[in-house]
Formats: sequence, structure tokens, C-alpha cells
Amino acid sequence: MKPNIWRRFYYWLDERIQFEDLIRFAAKKYVPVHSHSLWYYFGGVTLFLFIIQVVTGILLLLYYKGNEDLAFESIRYIMTEVEFGWLIRSIHSWSANLMILAAFIHMFSVFFTKAYRKPREITWLTGMVMLFLALGFGFSGYLLPWNELAFFATKVGTDIVGVIPLIGKPIQIFLRGGEDVTGATLSRFFGFHVAILPGIFTIFLFIHLLLVQRQGMSLPMEIVPEKAMKTMPFFPNFLLRDLLLWLIVLNILAILAVLYPWELGVKADPFAPAPAGIKPEWYFMFMFQTLKYIPAHIWIFDGEVVGVLLFIIAGVLWTLIPFWDKKTARGEKNLLINYLGLFCILYIILLTILGYLS
Amino acid sequence: MNKFKILDSLIKLIFYLTLVIGMFFENNLAQNTTDFCLKCHKANGDKAAVMFTKDIHYEMGVSCADCHGGDQSKSNMGEAMSEKNNFIGVPKGNRISELCSQCHSDEYQNLINSVHGKLTIKGDQIITQCITCHGIHNILRKEDKNSNVNALNVAKICAGCHSNIAYIKKYNPELPTDQYEKYLTSKHGILNSKKDPKAASCVSCHGSHEIRNVNDVKSKVYASNLPEVCSVCHSDSQYMKDYKIPTDQYDKYIGSVHGIALLKKGDLAAPSCNDCHGNHGAAPPGVESISKVCGICHALNAELFAKSPHKKAFDTLNKPECETCHGNHEIIVGTDQLIGNTKGTICYQCHNENQNVEGFIVAGKMRAILDSLVKLEETTVKLITDAEQKGMEVSEAKFKLRDIRQAKLETRTIIHAFNFDTFEKTSNNALSLIYDVKSLGEKAVNEYYFRRWGLLAATAIISVLAITLFIYIKKLEKKSNGK
Repeated sequence: MKPNIWRRFYYWLDERIQFEDLIRFAAKKYVPVHSHSLWYYFGGVTLFLFIIQVVTGILLLLYYKGNEDLAFESIRYIMTEVEFGWLIRSIHSWSANLMILAAFIHMFSVFFTKAYRKPREITWLTGMVMLFLALGFGFSGYLLPWNELAFFATKVGTDIVGVIPLIGKPIQIFLRGGEDVTGATLSRFFGFHVAILPGIFTIFLFIHLLLVQRQGMSLPMEIVPEKAMKTMPFFPNFLLRDLLLWLIVLNILAILAVLYPWELGVKADPFAPAPAGIKPEWYFMFMFQTLKYIPAHIWIFDGEVVGVLLFIIAGVLWTLIPFWDKKTARGEKNLLINYLGLFCILYIILLTILGYLS
Repeated sequence: MNKFKILDSLIKLIFYLTLVIGMFFENNLAQNTTDFCLKCHKANGDKAAVMFTKDIHYEMGVSCADCHGGDQSKSNMGEAMSEKNNFIGVPKGNRISELCSQCHSDEYQNLINSVHGKLTIKGDQIITQCITCHGIHNILRKEDKNSNVNALNVAKICAGCHSNIAYIKKYNPELPTDQYEKYLTSKHGILNSKKDPKAASCVSCHGSHEIRNVNDVKSKVYASNLPEVCSVCHSDSQYMKDYKIPTDQYDKYIGSVHGIALLKKGDLAAPSCNDCHGNHGAAPPGVESISKVCGICHALNAELFAKSPHKKAFDTLNKPECETCHGNHEIIVGTDQLIGNTKGTICYQCHNENQNVEGFIVAGKMRAILDSLVKLEETTVKLITDAEQKGMEVSEAKFKLRDIRQAKLETRTIIHAFNFDTFEKTSNNALSLIYDVKSLGEKAVNEYYFRRWGLLAATAIISVLAITLFIYIKKLEKKSNGK
């Protein structure tokens, strides 16, 4: 029987690209099935939301103008005049937040299942870098509508950066494009948001995904690998399950974007006094709130400087955990790490709630 | 005990006797002391000395030496006018008013805080000393008809400087110099010329020693203080009874649109009494000039009215133009209820079923259009609010609501042309603006429902896809488990 047109097209492509090798590789890939398998999906969800960010971001770029005088008006134009512009903008904003939430869940799941241990230290490092980049995406994107809240939140945010000893001031001036938050800051943040950060992010994403594919899924420490351990083929079973979750996330995203459209607010006026109730994005809230609780002076040091330095040290230590958690590296149970992770989660949740209540 | 009582009584007696004798001698000495300054200067025919004998200060026992220094009791001129006796001669510059302040401290304090006490050219002395207005050596009680500052004379005294162009230019080049001229033409000035002391003169409105710049909020003639200053006389029915004019202007004014704007809202652009009546040339505007007065601010309305058919009719009937419909002191906010062809409307006073019927019909049509404008605007605002509450972006529509308000204002203004075609054209413009914004509101509300239905369809499709995928996965897993 003569093969149908699709088959023939496949053969034609295969002759040139050698698909068979890839399929053979995929067919050999298995994902372990156990009580913690659910956490495997959050990396995929983060990736899916990132893809949505890229697609909606490109669409917004068709109309957005990264200029002090036009930014706010261009977003309003997108929301009122452009067909489905409101939806694209709302999805972009909601998806950004969900992506950071998914990234946090993914990071903590990797942390608690100790998946950062040898041989996946680089995977963890690339993941952490991507998380910081995602926060950078959030911070830079927040300013782009050039509305009042974003303007003053950026002012406060970059003020905090400025307190870091020695390097703080130069970084602040670099971020702001001058002494104050102005149109130059907007142009800069726009550049970071649509060119620099995506470029760097893509490199790390490529390495991260490559390593995940090469090393496969990590087994939690408490699960002892057995010969007869239940597994599922990566292709198509795991991929289809991933797809199913993506559809559910897409549904949630659509509901949020339509029922709770992202507001535009009031255009920023650099000469106006700061409005009451300036708050950063929720993922920065715990840090912001902590800085509020720290006294003005701790011994001979400035309280804010101490706070910022503590967060930097904590971030560095967290990122380098595969290298100092020797017990886990030796394959031993390290409850201290679990308690540390639990403390961090509770701290973040509590301070975020307090931040919104205050 | 008795000894002490006697001694006590004796001491008391000596004390009182000393006191009485002392007082007797002091009075006697004062009466008998000769004022040699006055005596000699009078004998020499010195004008100042002769004039001083009629001065209020002489009457009150003030001597030459009290102002010029020296010792009036010394008959020797050298001794009387010696430095040892603090002789200062003719006081100069600010020393003059400072000497007056020894007795008249309150007046002096007011003077140095006033515009006259602050303005100076060289900085060595204030521009107005006490003697500038009150005179020297011939100062009389202000009630005296010959006094410089008597109600009938004070305007001339003020004019001495204020009508002197060269003099005023040196201190305040912006200040007009025709106040006195205008005053003479005003009702107040005319009565004053007829020797009516009750008629307002400069000091009645500006105050005397405490005169401040008109832009000074403490000035009596500052825009928002002026109505009360006028009301001091004009609301006093006893004071005004000879003039046979009403005394309720102030009460009406404070409840009027102008009074509320100026006195309650602090809008200094709102007219005070002087804006309509004039200030120095204050007089009630006549039938002929009333629209000119109102037209200073309401220029467009006045221009439209001047070209309208009502102009001729009002002139023929000798009716004041703006006042006939809007009143004068009690002008209320112009509402649509003023126009129309029903009882209670202003138009109905002249246009009814039996007289001036054409105007009666037009007034009815105009009112109907105005009512429909208001109603449509209300509906549109509700629609936009509804869309906004539904979370829709309606900032453009909200911005255009301002245009509607402007167009509505233009429609109300064009009424003053009393021409239906012009009115209809303007109102159509307002209507079309309202319809534009209304359609934006409707679009926003429709969009809201479209989004809801779109979401329902999208979630339904995604859910079906997800369920199908789930069933497929289950089937696939069952198949692979079976293997």
C-alpha cells in the first residue's frame, strides 16, 4: 500500500533531519512514578507561562511605546482600541504573576526533594538564576505602563538598591539612567524587559532544559530506587499529562484575565507627591515589609543597609546550597535543610500577609 | 493706747493737708504759668502761633514746647530754645508723626502699618505724616466743618496727593489719579458736594489711619470685605431713611450666585458691589447701561442679547435688560427652570397663550430641548458609570463628558440670542456629542458582556479539550498497563 501524504512528508523530513534518533532517545526516557511525582509538573507549568509571556509580550510590543510621554497612552490604546488588546495585556500581567508563583513552587519542590544534589547542581544554579531573572522581569515590567503606583514603587525599589554599600549607588544610577526615576529609567527598563533579560533568560533556559533532558527526573531521597519501580514513558504519557495541566492553567489564566482585568491606574506625574499605599509586587512584599520592621540603626550600622545585606547573603547562601549541604550530598538525611525551607516559606507568607494588611 | 491713736490721727491729718495744699498750688501754678513761646510768637505776628490758638491741641492744653521742645516758662529766648531744654525746632520727616504718637499711639501704629506708612521713595521717611492730612497748628475736631478731615473736606485732602499725577507716579505708577474726579460724579460725591455729611467719602470705605492696599486681605476694600463695608450704611434702614432706597441689597447679595461665589467659595473673580456700581464713581447702573455692566463678565451673553429681538422689545418697554429676567442683587444660579412656557417661568411673564404667542411656542420648544439634553446626559453618565463599575476602561468617554458639559453650557448661553434656529443648531451639536459618548458607553457595556460570553466559550472549549486529553491519557495508560 502506498503511504499517505503525511507519512511521505515525514519520510522526506526524516531523510534530512534524522528524526529517528530523537524518537529513539525520547522513547527510552522514563519518568519515575511515586507519591511526589506531582512536583515534576511545576517546571513545565513555569515554562508554559514563560511561553505565554513571550507570545503576549511580542503582541504588546506591536503597539507599546517605551517613552515617558506615550507609554501610558499606548497601553490605554491597547486596552481600548486594539482588538483583544485588553485580553493580551491582562493575560500578560496575570501570566507574569502566575509564572513567578509557579517558579517559586518549582524551586521549593526541588529544594525539599533535594533534587539540587549531585549531579544536578548546575540545573539548580541555572534555575535560581532564572528565578532572579524572572523577578527582574517583574520589576522592569511593572514600570512600563508608567502609572503612578509603578512610578513610585520603582522609586522606592531603586532607592533600596542604592543603600547597598559601595556598589549600591552606581547600580542605582545605572538602573535609573540618572539620579532620579525619569523617562530615561523607562527607556532603560523597557530595554531590560524586552531585550537584555529575555536574551540572558533564553540561554539559561536552554541549559536548564538540556540538563533536565540529559539527567532525567531526580528521585526524592526518601524513595529508594528499585528495579521494579513504577515509571511512565516521557513521550507521550508525561508530555500529555503536562499538556493537560497546561490546559487547566490556561483556563485559570483566561478566567483571571477576563474577570479581573489588570487595571491601568493614573498616569505617573513625577512632580506629584507620592500617593498613599505604595506597595511593591507581591513577590517583593516580604522583603519590603522586613525592611519596614528593621530599626533605623542596628548598633553602628544603618538598619536598611543591614536588612538589604542580609537578604543578599540569604539569597547567595540559598543559591549555593548544593555546595554547602554536605550531608545531603553524601546521601544522608538533613532535616535542618527541611526546617530552613519551612521557615523560609512561613516567613515569606507571614510577611507578605502583614505587608498587605499594613 | 490713746497716745498712739492721737499720733496716728495727727499723721493722717498732716498727710491729707499736704496733699490738698500741693494740689491747690500746682493748679494755681499751671494757670498762672505764662507760655512765653506763644506769647512772643503771637506778638511777632507769627502765623503759626496765631493759628495755634484755635487748634484743638491748644484747647486741650498742649503747648508749643510739647512738639518743638524747649521750655515755654522761660522768658529768655536763648534759654527757652536752648539744647539744654531739648529744643528741637521744626520737627522733620518721621519725627513729626513720632511726636504725635506720644499721645496718639494707636493712630500712629495704624499709620505705620498702612500703605501710607510703608511706601517710601528714598527710605528716609514714610510718604504720609500725620500733618499731611490733619494740617499743622490748625488741627480741629473732625466734626468741625473747617477741619481738614471733616466728612465734607476729606476727599479734597486725599485728592491733594491722589489727583497729582506727578506725585503718585513716583510712588505707584499703576495707581489711577482720577478717583476724585469720579467721586464727584458719583452719588456719594454729589451728595457730599451738597454738604450732606452722611454721604460716603474716601475714609468711609478705605478707613483713615489704617488704609491698606486694595490687594491686602486686611484692606477694607479687599474684594471679599467690600460688600460688608458698603452694607454698614446701605443696610442701616435708620441711616438710609432720608434717601428712600431699599436697604436689603446686602442680604440679597449674600444669597446670590455672585455673593456665594465671592464670600463663601472665595472666588475673587466674582463681582462685589463695586464691580457693577463702580467704586469711586459709584452709581446705580441705569436701564440703558445694565447690560453693559453685566457684559463686562458675561460678554458673550451680552453680545448675543444685543443682537436679539428682545433688545428692541426691552428698550421699547423701558425694561432693564439682564435684570428683567435675572434680577439684580439676588441673582440666582441660572437654571433651565427659568425658561419655558408654563406658569412660574420667566418667559411666561411676557409670552403666554394670549400675548406674544410666537415667543410662547418657541420658549416651550427650547425648554423641551434643554430637558431632553439634561435627561440624555444623565442616562449617558449612568451608562459610563455602569461600564466603569463593570471594570471597563472608559477614560476616553469620561473625558468626553467634559465636552458635553461645555456644549450644554453653550446651548444655555445661546438662549440669549432668542433665535430658535441658532439655538437648535447649538443644541444639536450638544446632542450629537452626547450620542457619541453614549455609544462609547454602550460599546463598553456590550464589550463587557461579549467578554463574559467569550470567556464562557473559551473555558468550555479548553475544558472539553482537557477532558478529552484526560480520557485519552487514561486510555493510553490502560493500554500500556495491559501490555
